[in-house]
Amino acid sequence: MPRLHRQLGRLDWFVLAGLIGAAVFLLYRMFFNLNYNWNWGIIPTYLVRYDDEGQRWVANALLEGLVTTIRLSVWGMLLALVLGVVLGVMRVAARLAPRLISRIYVEFIRNTPALVLVFLFYYFVNDRLLAHFEVDALIRHSPPAVRRVLALAAGDLTLISPFISGAMTIGLFQAAYIAEIVRAGIQSIPAGQWEASRALGLPRFLVLRLVILPQAIRVMLPPLAGEFVNTIKYSSIASIISIQELTFQGMQVMASTQATIEVWITITAMYLVLCLGLSLAVHRLEQKYRQTLH
Amino acid sequence: MKKTLILTLVLLVMAMTGMTHAASTRQQLTAESTIERVMQKGVLRVGMDTFQPWAMKDKNGRLIGFEIDVATRLAKDLGVKVEFVPTAWSGIIPALLTGKFDVIIGGMGITPERSLKVNFTIPYDYSGMSIVAHRQKAAGFTQLADFNKQEVQIAVKLGTTAAAVAKKYLPKATLRMFDNETQLYQELRNGQVHAVVENAPRPAFEAADYKDTLFMPFTDTFTKEPIAFALPKGDPDTLACFNSWITLVQLEGWLQERHNYWFGTKDWASQVQ
Repeated sequence: MPRLHRQLGRLDWFVLAGLIGAAVFLLYRMFFNLNYNWNWGIIPTYLVRYDDEGQRWVANALLEGLVTTIRLSVWGMLLALVLGVVLGVMRVAARLAPRLISRIYVEFIRNTPALVLVFLFYYFVNDRLLAHFEVDALIRHSPPAVRRVLALAAGDLTLISPFISGAMTIGLFQAAYIAEIVRAGIQSIPAGQWEASRALGLPRFLVLRLVILPQAIRVMLPPLAGEFVNTIKYSSIASIISIQELTFQGMQVMASTQATIEVWITITAMYLVLCLGLSLAVHRLEQKYRQTLH
Repeated sequence: MKKTLILTLVLLVMAMTGMTHAASTRQQLTAESTIERVMQKGVLRVGMDTFQPWAMKDKNGRLIGFEIDVATRLAKDLGVKVEFVPTAWSGIIPALLTGKFDVIIGGMGITPERSLKVNFTIPYDYSGMSIVAHRQKAAGFTQLADFNKQEVQIAVKLGTTAAAVAKKYLPKATLRMFDNETQLYQELRNGQVHAVVENAPRPAFEAADYKDTLFMPFTDTFTKEPIAFALPKGDPDTLACFNSWITLVQLEGWLQERHNYWFGTKDWASQVQ
């Protein structure tokens, strides 16, 4: 492998100058030539506002949207993990039936656009399930302590039905991708481990639980953490089913104030900070696991 | 004599069972109606989309607008709380039909295609279409017929009556459909389309904000559309209840007063901008 240079040479400066020049040109076009009345002053007030009744600063639309995005991603990821591990183990089952079922599910989800799937799940699948369990009525009649905990976990209780639908949709969608990661993790364990475990007389289920999965988890963690970052990005598609997450709140603020580009830039920055922060944490995790393996 | 007596008794019993059967169908319809459910739960869930000045989000994170006023007044008169469910316009009718909320109070115009899927109340407001155009691209255009040419591009919002109206009045023009209202005006300001067709007064606001690039070819609206509440089908009780309420507030003059505040003036602008 070639030696990695640690300083910028002449060629590097030329390329960088070219790129910076292109970026400056684009920014100039955007700020001066675009026919648009900039109104940056409106952004801070939609991030935090001073509540006169409570005499304190509270989060406004955009920050609330960010919190909903995080909640949605966390719940979606939890559901996806549970379902994904089950499906991943099914993918490497000895019998044909579990392999067939999981393969069909994974191939269907991975080969359909996310937007189309979100519509399908939200309007046809989740609606039937939630109506059947009467979630709305259940929540309205639950005691205040339960409602407080739920509000912390899932946000505004009046909009909890769409939130549950959205979380289920994201969970079902990401489960397919996690199933593939789990399958790859399990298959990366050398066959010798399987043979030795079977030789000891362990049934297949215990082989998986005691020998294979503990080793596979170390391999699976970095890509799984990467999938969490993907989940946050996919949650913006949930705005199409009117869940009050960051993209949807942003569109509402834009429709109310006509400050389109400012709001889009703010939202981009918020997603970037969130996902970049997580990506850096994932990178640290990968480095830590690389050290322990050697 | 005995035969007639028995016959009369049998007929009477049949008639009574017929009547009780009819009565139970009516009771069932009443029990399953939306308004009954709303009164029992104590909450009226209203679906709408943000659209200046029908419904907007103000700086305090609250929803304000003409539709918000109407829905709040309706809930107050019924004695229930109101909950707003902001929904993307292109999916608002499927959301109503799958029970995500009870009624659409969001500036929905009555059209024959929509009335096949939902029940409309009597109109509580009237809206018209107006057009705002780009000064350079649509230079010299002064009437609607000037826009009816193949090379003219008109931007409209997907799934709205504006799209249907543009197709009807400007059949030769090319239509560009967008899901979001903000995209329409950005395209117009960039000079990618000749004009935007939308419900008044939004085009007039835009023309006033960007006087150098945009202008209004003519100031009148060129259609008159009735705006009504939309309810799921098969619910005569709720329809009758809302119709009576609309008649009442219309005769009070309250609807006209609210309409003039939100559409005629821009006093509310400081609350959002």
